[in-house]
Amino acid sequence: MHMADALAAPAVAGTMYVCSAAAAAYSIKKVREEDDAKKVPVMGIMGAFVFAAQMINFTIPGTGSSGHLCGGMLLSALLGPYAGFLTMIGVLLIQCLLFADGGLLALGCNIWNMAFYGCFIGALLIWKPLMRKGITKGKIVLASVLGCVITLQFGAFSVTLETLASGITELPFKTFVMTMQPIHLAIGFVEGLITAAVLVFVYESRPELLYGSGENEKKQGLFSLKKTLVILAVVSVFIGGILSLFASSHPDGLEWSIEKITGSAELDNNDEIHEAAASVQEVTALLPDYAFKNSESAAGTAFSGIIGGVVVVIVCVAACYVFKFFRKKNGCGENI
Amino acid sequence: MSKIGSAIYEIHHIDAIAARDQWVNKVHPLVKLVLTVFYITVVVSFQKYDVAGLLGMAVYPLALFLLSEVSFGDSLKRLKLVLPLVCFVGILNPFLDRNYVEIDGVVFNAGILSMITLIMKGVFSVFASYLLIATTSIEKLCYAFRLLHVPKILVTQILLTYRYITVLLAEVNRVTQAYALRAPNQKGIHFKVWGSLTGQILLRSMDRANVVYESMNLRGYHGEFQYVGEKIRLSWKDVCYMVIWGGIFILFRNIPVIPVIGNAVGGLFL
Amino acid sequence: MSHIHIDVEKVSFGYEKGNEILKDISFHAGEGDSIGLVGANGVGKSTLLKLLVGLNPGFEGSIRVEEIPVQKDMLPKIREKIGYVFQDSDSQLFMSTAYDDIAFAPRNYGLPDAEVRVRVERALEMTGISYLRDKQIYKMSGGEKKLVSIATILSMTPDIILMDEPSIALDPRNRRNLIKILNSFEHLKIIASHDLDMILDTCDRTILMADGRIIRDGDTKEILSDQELLEKYGLELPLCMHNSVR
Repeated sequence: MHMADALAAPAVAGTMYVCSAAAAAYSIKKVREEDDAKKVPVMGIMGAFVFAAQMINFTIPGTGSSGHLCGGMLLSALLGPYAGFLTMIGVLLIQCLLFADGGLLALGCNIWNMAFYGCFIGALLIWKPLMRKGITKGKIVLASVLGCVITLQFGAFSVTLETLASGITELPFKTFVMTMQPIHLAIGFVEGLITAAVLVFVYESRPELLYGSGENEKKQGLFSLKKTLVILAVVSVFIGGILSLFASSHPDGLEWSIEKITGSAELDNNDEIHEAAASVQEVTALLPDYAFKNSESAAGTAFSGIIGGVVVVIVCVAACYVFKFFRKKNGCGENI
Repeated sequence: MSKIGSAIYEIHHIDAIAARDQWVNKVHPLVKLVLTVFYITVVVSFQKYDVAGLLGMAVYPLALFLLSEVSFGDSLKRLKLVLPLVCFVGILNPFLDRNYVEIDGVVFNAGILSMITLIMKGVFSVFASYLLIATTSIEKLCYAFRLLHVPKILVTQILLTYRYITVLLAEVNRVTQAYALRAPNQKGIHFKVWGSLTGQILLRSMDRANVVYESMNLRGYHGEFQYVGEKIRLSWKDVCYMVIWGGIFILFRNIPVIPVIGNAVGGLFL
Repeated sequence: MSHIHIDVEKVSFGYEKGNEILKDISFHAGEGDSIGLVGANGVGKSTLLKLLVGLNPGFEGSIRVEEIPVQKDMLPKIREKIGYVFQDSDSQLFMSTAYDDIAFAPRNYGLPDAEVRVRVERALEMTGISYLRDKQIYKMSGGEKKLVSIATILSMTPDIILMDEPSIALDPRNRRNLIKILNSFEHLKIIASHDLDMILDTCDRTILMADGRIIRDGDTKEILSDQELLEKYGLELPLCMHNSVR
């Protein structure tokens, strides 16, 4: 489920970063409004808990395989959507840095696909309305399973959209969706059951820990379902619009953002740069393409490619060693 | 070693190498963070058939592996999560994209090229992230986040989560080991105890959070961490480091360095 | 009477109504006192310690720390004077390095960086762990963590130190070291523990609790050598006394 950096084009990754940052800013505002100093340590430790608990293998009855806990849903059922979302950001960042699960560039996508849906849809649209008239065991199971299935479906669909919009796969939209969604339906169902089991246990032993129980009910009740739905709809239309714009117009030309930064476009499309490159090539090549152009150009290309590669590696390695050599020398000098 | 055991080991290991006295480790964390993100962005932005151009981007991980003395083997292990996904997405490209691309008169199957670039992008970005975390501790990265104006509450949350990950991993490890010792033929946790086993750990974690909160309170905490980390000064060396690498990335993005040098050097000899 | 003292008068407390954990507790502790708080599991030792720093509000009776009543609006003032060492070091140490954790309190009290540094260095010296200054907490042994925990409260320069089971989970050498360090403090100390040998080595006065009440309050040697009394309330003679009695 974690998107890798390679799967997200910079423009897509950037868009998702902006969306996730907006959700994070809103959540921070909300958490600050609650003004509960205790939230910070609880968030920190529950983040670590989710991180660790996701490593437990739960045997799925009747199969040989095992399932895992769904962090987003669990956190939002305990901390509420906003604190849950912020906690998930921390978890995802650490997963990406320490275990290469996901990537720095794709972090915005991952926060959106997993944390946003899990916490906002899971908590605001499923958990809260269901628990409005009091919590029961049955409702916890229903909310957890429903929440996990739906949020994972959203997440998987977003992964599909983001990958396709990035233009890195030739998989047709239909095939991609048809593979992603059913797999995640099954995963969501299992994760939902595991999450439900944990939440039911919490409900039986310490019900006051659950979100929406007791005193915070009245305060939270002011937040209307309608408002949430409208916000959600607007946001999804916005993102959908941007992503489809990328996907349809030029699937290969998504790099406008990096183009702006580096001043380049695709080499084939941009004459100016191409010319510049060609002139550099002419200047540097003493016998420009002479040997190969008209004979066996295949061998020539391969040959210059190999030579070029070897030279770059040698220069790079040599530079590093020279650098290190002087560092050491300097270091000794300083010590004396 | 169990999965959790190896995760604990991995955290300790990364922390140990990030704390080493290497030159790269001392570069300002903000510089390293920005450069890493920029590098990955540039790598990912390469056109999907541009194998030669992308190959040039290998200089950054290559140089950093040499300069930081981070083990190359360790970083290969980190590909195991990313590569399957990337391969799943890319593996069908050669079959689905039956176009041909001509480069310098040589004809390639477009699908194969796009699969290769995709895998290279995956590998390079994982290497770059690893080289960042293997030379920069989480605390220093959080300091860089603060410089980028990431809100305090989020940074505190990241630091606290990181602090307690090892504590809770060790606890989960003990519980699952105790379980496994009494259920020798089971691969995982039986569904009858899904809730109670995990729930117990959860409740204990909540209690722990309470104690942490009390401990903070007793030491004058009022809802905001005063901590911002010890100031790390940005030296001219850091700026040079950034400018040089940034320049190389932009240069390599715009000029197919490998073919150009190859032609030049090849021309010298022939 | 010096200014450092705690007065507890007729205090009763329960987390739930009708289920009192502490009943009618009264004692006075003055400057330089070192008091061992002993009793079987669940008699309310930790609860009593937490009452003193206001972590458990809603008690009956009166608690005064240096003449300041323990009540909500006074808590910041009281907590500046009292250092509390939790039983579980991992819960007390939440920052990443020893330095940051020890600096947590001085920074919260708004001290300038230079003063924070001085305070931290002094706390490290007092506990003899200057070499742990920049070490990550999660890499430390149990003994090291305990000493850092103590240093985190010393950096607040408290008048009074409360400790909950400080010697638990320490190996003999770390335990010995801890006792030496505790004896070097001149603060008013209250130590709750099952480690009666340690109490014997560190405290002049002992308060024996059972079932939420104070059973006996007096000289440590006297109480801890009274085999009949100890066994009646679920304790045993300290190991070092076994030979002398038989």
